Amino acid sequence: MDDGRRWPEQLDSIVEEFSSCFDSMERYELLFQYAKRNPSPLPVEEWDDRNQVHGCQSRAHVSCDLDDEGQFVLRGGADAQIVQGLIAVTAIAVNGMSPSYVAAMSPEFADSMGIRSSLTPSRANGFLNMFKRVQEEASSLSGRT
Amino acid sequence: MVPLAIHEFKTHNLLRCSVDDMGMDVESIRKDFPILDRKLPNGKQLVYFDNAATSQKPQCVIDAMSEYYSEYNSNAHRANHTLADEATTALEGARKSISSFFGTSPEQMVYTSGATEAINLVSYGWARENLSSGDVIVLTEMEHHADIVPWQQLSKEKGVEVRYVPIDTDSFTLDMDAFEVAVSGASLVCVVHTSNVLGIRNPIERIVELSHSQGARVLLDCAQGAPHERISFDQSGVDFMAISAHKMGGPTGIGCLLVKRDAMEQMTPFMTGGSMIKTVSVEGSTFQEGHAMLETGTPRIAEAIGWGAAVEWLDRHDMKEIHSHINRIASWTAEQISEIDGITVYGDPTRGDSSGAVSFLHDSIQSQDLALLLDEGGFAVRTGHHCAQPLMDALGVPSTNRASFWLYNTMDEAEAFVEHLRYVVDRFSDK
Repeated sequence: MDDGRRWPEQLDSIVEEFSSCFDSMERYELLFQYAKRNPSPLPVEEWDDRNQVHGCQSRAHVSCDLDDEGQFVLRGGADAQIVQGLIAVTAIAVNGMSPSYVAAMSPEFADSMGIRSSLTPSRANGFLNMFKRVQEEASSLSGRT
Repeated sequence: MVPLAIHEFKTHNLLRCSVDDMGMDVESIRKDFPILDRKLPNGKQLVYFDNAATSQKPQCVIDAMSEYYSEYNSNAHRANHTLADEATTALEGARKSISSFFGTSPEQMVYTSGATEAINLVSYGWARENLSSGDVIVLTEMEHHADIVPWQQLSKEKGVEVRYVPIDTDSFTLDMDAFEVAVSGASLVCVVHTSNVLGIRNPIERIVELSHSQGARVLLDCAQGAPHERISFDQSGVDFMAISAHKMGGPTGIGCLLVKRDAMEQMTPFMTGGSMIKTVSVEGSTFQEGHAMLETGTPRIAEAIGWGAAVEWLDRHDMKEIHSHINRIASWTAEQISEIDGITVYGDPTRGDSSGAVSFLHDSIQSQDLALLLDEGGFAVRTGHHCAQPLMDALGVPSTNRASFWLYNTMDEAEAFVEHLRYVVDRFSDK
């Protein structure tokens, strides 16, 4: 973010893809597709109370760690495809970044994708709760690097 | 395929919907509900199918509450000035209208915040005084959490036994053979009049007969039944009846417990403080009697007046016609959506006694996702466990979507809903 970027470079094409959608239905359809190809899934067997994101209407779980090189790894899953899609996009944004970068990142990319405005308040809050949880874990993990 | 907007939908049906087959003038009724004209932020016309959660309010209810605040806002039962007198008269006038609507006298009616508080009032005000360890309370798997948790708490505190009557998951009805076994030796039977998930009306008359034959008192949760059926408390024979205003055109935050005279004599105050006392001194206090003892603090005056206006408005309509109209929409909708690939309907709205709730689930589109995609088309439906997790467990599902209808809904809206649901399933389901 030192170069004035509001989100990591790997999100540029995704933000463009979502923001050029014709309407909300098309955006939801795209989220369904991202949910299906979630690059960093958390298998249902690993869902537990500790990794559950509270404040989501549906069930959502995220697990955060560092890889061998000390870079951030988010894995997540949800029973609802729209939430799972949001987790997948977030994982694309944060995985491979330094934990301190993730801790300081803004959720603004969701606005630019047109996602937050098309979500109900409870869904939008669910996204923000998930993002806040990821940032808290990133902040905690940044102390380990 | 892009679905038609509601205003474009089958205009030849508008004539049919303006005067229902049963003679109900739905278009005229809709004019009393300004919110039904609302467009959502995406420009779609609102189609409100979440009536089992809360109904919309007719203009007369909004006006009655506004008039109270703008013309005679004052505390009731406390002063001799003109405004206080007007407020007290309106509050007690509403009690008279509401109790009369439910076929009983004002003396049997205790204002509460809703059905939940009414059930808690029975738990704290009657059961804690009259039940003890070893006594039996009978519930059903169909109950709303409001009619489960207070009894689980009582069981923890007093050691009463709680028995649950299962449902038959093929017919979605109560297993009455199991009920007959469970009620043996029971002291209290708590049962929902109509399931908020399944829309099924329980055989109340038989339940009351069996319960009373065992000497058990009956608490009937009428939160869902009251908007759909003219229920007479006195004729029903039940001992306690819990009702919420907001599902039958009234405001939120108000409801009542109707109590048989002899049961009320066995009650003690749930809450104590102002209004419910006769005298207070440093040595102690004495309480009023009847419903006055059970209504503590400043009453919900505006809400009571609003509810009074709602029952007077409902009283101008034939509840049997309303019920038939809603049943027709629910039955048709259930039949149509059960034919959509992947959708299972829970309950049987074709039985003819449905409250208009149609619960369903798609096998690949999660219920929260489906609700959002329906909302995108302007359709407001409920999603989740509906505060009935034991019933969800019995059905073997975590949640359902639920479309629930009331008197202002039309077949045109139902047709547009089915069309949009088909479109969503076609576009979003796994193939």
